[in-house]
Amino acid sequence: MAFIEAKNLTKIYTRGTEKIQALHKANFTVERGAIIAVTGASGSGKTTLVNVLGCLDNPTSGSLVIDGQTVFEDKVHLSESALTIVRRKIFGYVFQKFFLLPTLTVKENILLPAVFQPGLRANSARLTEVLQMLGLDKRANHLPGQLSGGEMQRTAIARALINNPSVLIADEPTGNLDSKRSEEIKNLLLELNQKQNLTIILVTHNPDLAKIGNQTLELKDGIIQ
Amino acid sequence: MNIFQVAYKNLLRRKTRTLFTIAGIMLSTWVLVTLLGFNKGYEQSLNENIEGMGFQIVLTAKGCPYEAATLMLKGGTGLRYMPEALVRDVAGRAEVASATDMLMHAEFDPNKGESGGTIVYLGIDPQTYPEMKPYLQFNQGEWFGADSAAEIVLGYEAAELEQREAGDVMLLPGSDQEFKVTGVLKRTGTQDDGMIFLPLKSAQQIFRKEGLLTMLGLRLKQDADQNIFEEDLYTLPDVQVVSMAQVKNTILSLVASAKIIVLSIAFIAFLIAMFGVLNTVLMSVFERFQEIGILKSIGALPRDVFQMILIETTLLCALGSLAGIIFAYLFSGFSEMVVRYLLPFAPNGSLIIIGWPTIIFAFVSITLVGVIGGVYPSLRAASIRPLDSIRSAE
Amino acid sequence: MRKIFGFLILFLLIGFGLAAVGCDLNDPDRDILRIGTYYTSLSPRITYKTEYLSLTKLGGEKTLRAVEERLGDKFSGLYETIDVPYTLYTLYQGEKIIGYVHGINQKGKYGGLQVFLAYDTRGVIKHFYYQKLTSRKAAELRSAEFAGQFAGLSLQDFLSYAVQTGSGGSAGVQAIQNPSPEDAADFLATLRAVKKNLILMDIFVFNKEGKELP
Repeated sequence: MAFIEAKNLTKIYTRGTEKIQALHKANFTVERGAIIAVTGASGSGKTTLVNVLGCLDNPTSGSLVIDGQTVFEDKVHLSESALTIVRRKIFGYVFQKFFLLPTLTVKENILLPAVFQPGLRANSARLTEVLQMLGLDKRANHLPGQLSGGEMQRTAIARALINNPSVLIADEPTGNLDSKRSEEIKNLLLELNQKQNLTIILVTHNPDLAKIGNQTLELKDGIIQ
Repeated sequence: MNIFQVAYKNLLRRKTRTLFTIAGIMLSTWVLVTLLGFNKGYEQSLNENIEGMGFQIVLTAKGCPYEAATLMLKGGTGLRYMPEALVRDVAGRAEVASATDMLMHAEFDPNKGESGGTIVYLGIDPQTYPEMKPYLQFNQGEWFGADSAAEIVLGYEAAELEQREAGDVMLLPGSDQEFKVTGVLKRTGTQDDGMIFLPLKSAQQIFRKEGLLTMLGLRLKQDADQNIFEEDLYTLPDVQVVSMAQVKNTILSLVASAKIIVLSIAFIAFLIAMFGVLNTVLMSVFERFQEIGILKSIGALPRDVFQMILIETTLLCALGSLAGIIFAYLFSGFSEMVVRYLLPFAPNGSLIIIGWPTIIFAFVSITLVGVIGGVYPSLRAASIRPLDSIRSAE
Repeated sequence: MRKIFGFLILFLLIGFGLAAVGCDLNDPDRDILRIGTYYTSLSPRITYKTEYLSLTKLGGEKTLRAVEERLGDKFSGLYETIDVPYTLYTLYQGEKIIGYVHGINQKGKYGGLQVFLAYDTRGVIKHFYYQKLTSRKAAELRSAEFAGQFAGLSLQDFLSYAVQTGSGGSAGVQAIQNPSPEDAADFLATLRAVKKNLILMDIFVFNKEGKELP
């Protein structure tokens, strides 16, 4: 059985009286340890797809099974709290904007998920491991304002990884970085995938970054091509 | 790291705003503590002042003014007298712990000022009067020796006007006899400051009021029922009973309306604190819309976010009210000066008393009110959906 | 912040500064109107300005010593102290200063005397009167004849007058008659008050720079 199995995932937004079909009957599976590149033009439904997939949003219809657990079944909507529990267990998120808390140090930002999850797996050994893995050990006590763009994105990735997620969802992770830093992040994602067997779902415009995907979902007007 | 530290560091992000919010809460608390302190202090001081008058009950002849100020306004007229015999009878009753006879006299002195002025004298019994007024202290000298000595004691202001010191002599208007000043009292802030005291017998003789008194001051025994005793006194003919308890009640009922205003202002201070907090926290929640969304995406439950924002609010309120209490305490002297300046009648003693109950009440209530103000923004924050916030960033 | 502190300190000073009492006119509007008749016989439209002065403010101890030396007597007692406030009334006719009124407290035999002098602009006494007086001979001392003897005199006349013995002074001073020769205490106290008043006015108004007198 596939790690993630999506059936007829559909998402319709209502904006005023207008209904926008952002995702239309998406069917796909993701194997554990895969890198899925989600590509497509702006407004094609990429972000909607990963938000539903990452349990940040409920689909309008369709079903989603992750690691054998049914997360959505037709028309059954999970509460905000229930979605949070699923997110905690399975996902780590990285966004185009880094969303680091400016008054917390790199170390504290990375440990932030632990604040909200009592009895978490994160401990000081895991922190050291993540810091080293992402080359942030010398920056641990710096504030975000003192970091470069690449370092900020690495901090955001470290924050996503601190809980040992099974799936990393990265939405345009290099969107705010120059080509050199983008390359760095690309290599880092590859390394994480290979060494930790981390499943990565990657939304990107960047064809070079998309190349690392061993499966590509190309979207056009909410439909997987 | 825990949620408390995250909340605390969030406050440090906008230091100026945090500081201003704390200052707002501080001001509200300052006002509240000062007003509550005033509420307590005024009543307490009034009680002490009335206690300090020495008498619980004063008997005067009917229609007779017993305040020196009233007497002066009336140009020294209007005094009436009670026969000593009647008074002896009252002073001898079982309920009376001590009694003191007094003869007040007002005399027109043509040489006081361009067109003359009224001087008020009080003939007192040197045996009983001083112990009823233990707060009267001497700047110089002491009370006169005998009941009929040609001696006087001057209140501070009377002595200053007459430039008299202990040992000097003085003339009383309408008399050729020289009186020796045996003592000058310290300033008391009461009508005693302007008074010229002389022995009762001498006063009766000089002012030709032998066998007459204007007032009898009474202090009752601890176990005596003041009400019953007063009721009994009312049956005496041509005698007016002035009960200090009544005077106090009259003043307190006058002050009661002022108290309502005071408490309304305190209530407004509460509202200001609450809406100030609501506004600030709501603004900071809106500002951190995306950030809160991210916190949720990394595992924060709605109740975690609610808790975090509420901790921020509580910290703001607690710090503000603590600062306000400290300010109120440090500046209570200054506030008292202002209150004294503004109030038409302010008793002596501390007008603003800030005790632990006031401090605890102000701290808890302002913090609580602030926290209530923080509930709505916290709920708003808790209901932020991560998706909306992340999308709004892109 | 400094301003606030200044304000607070000012408040404290006012609070504690009420120790000594000065000598004010009881009813300045009415009193000045009456005194005005000594300046001009035409219905006088006299206005006045009130000023509060004290030796503490005008040089402190040093000034006090100078006053005592010229007076030939020490300040003494509970009430004659360095911090006594003095009230100076400056009289105007229109914009023009026409004179001054100043009173002082003086200890008399039986009570306080308040001796007021009205001056012209050169420091010559125009009018003398007691605002308050307690004396066996109050009526005599208050008489117009007695008061009239001071008119026309100035500090020059009193410089050599010895306040303790009542001797010396110019011919004008020596000519002042005591209306009650059997009791000189209040008469002497009055002359001391007049001399003290003249010296203080010299410091306050006429010889502010403290020039040596000829």
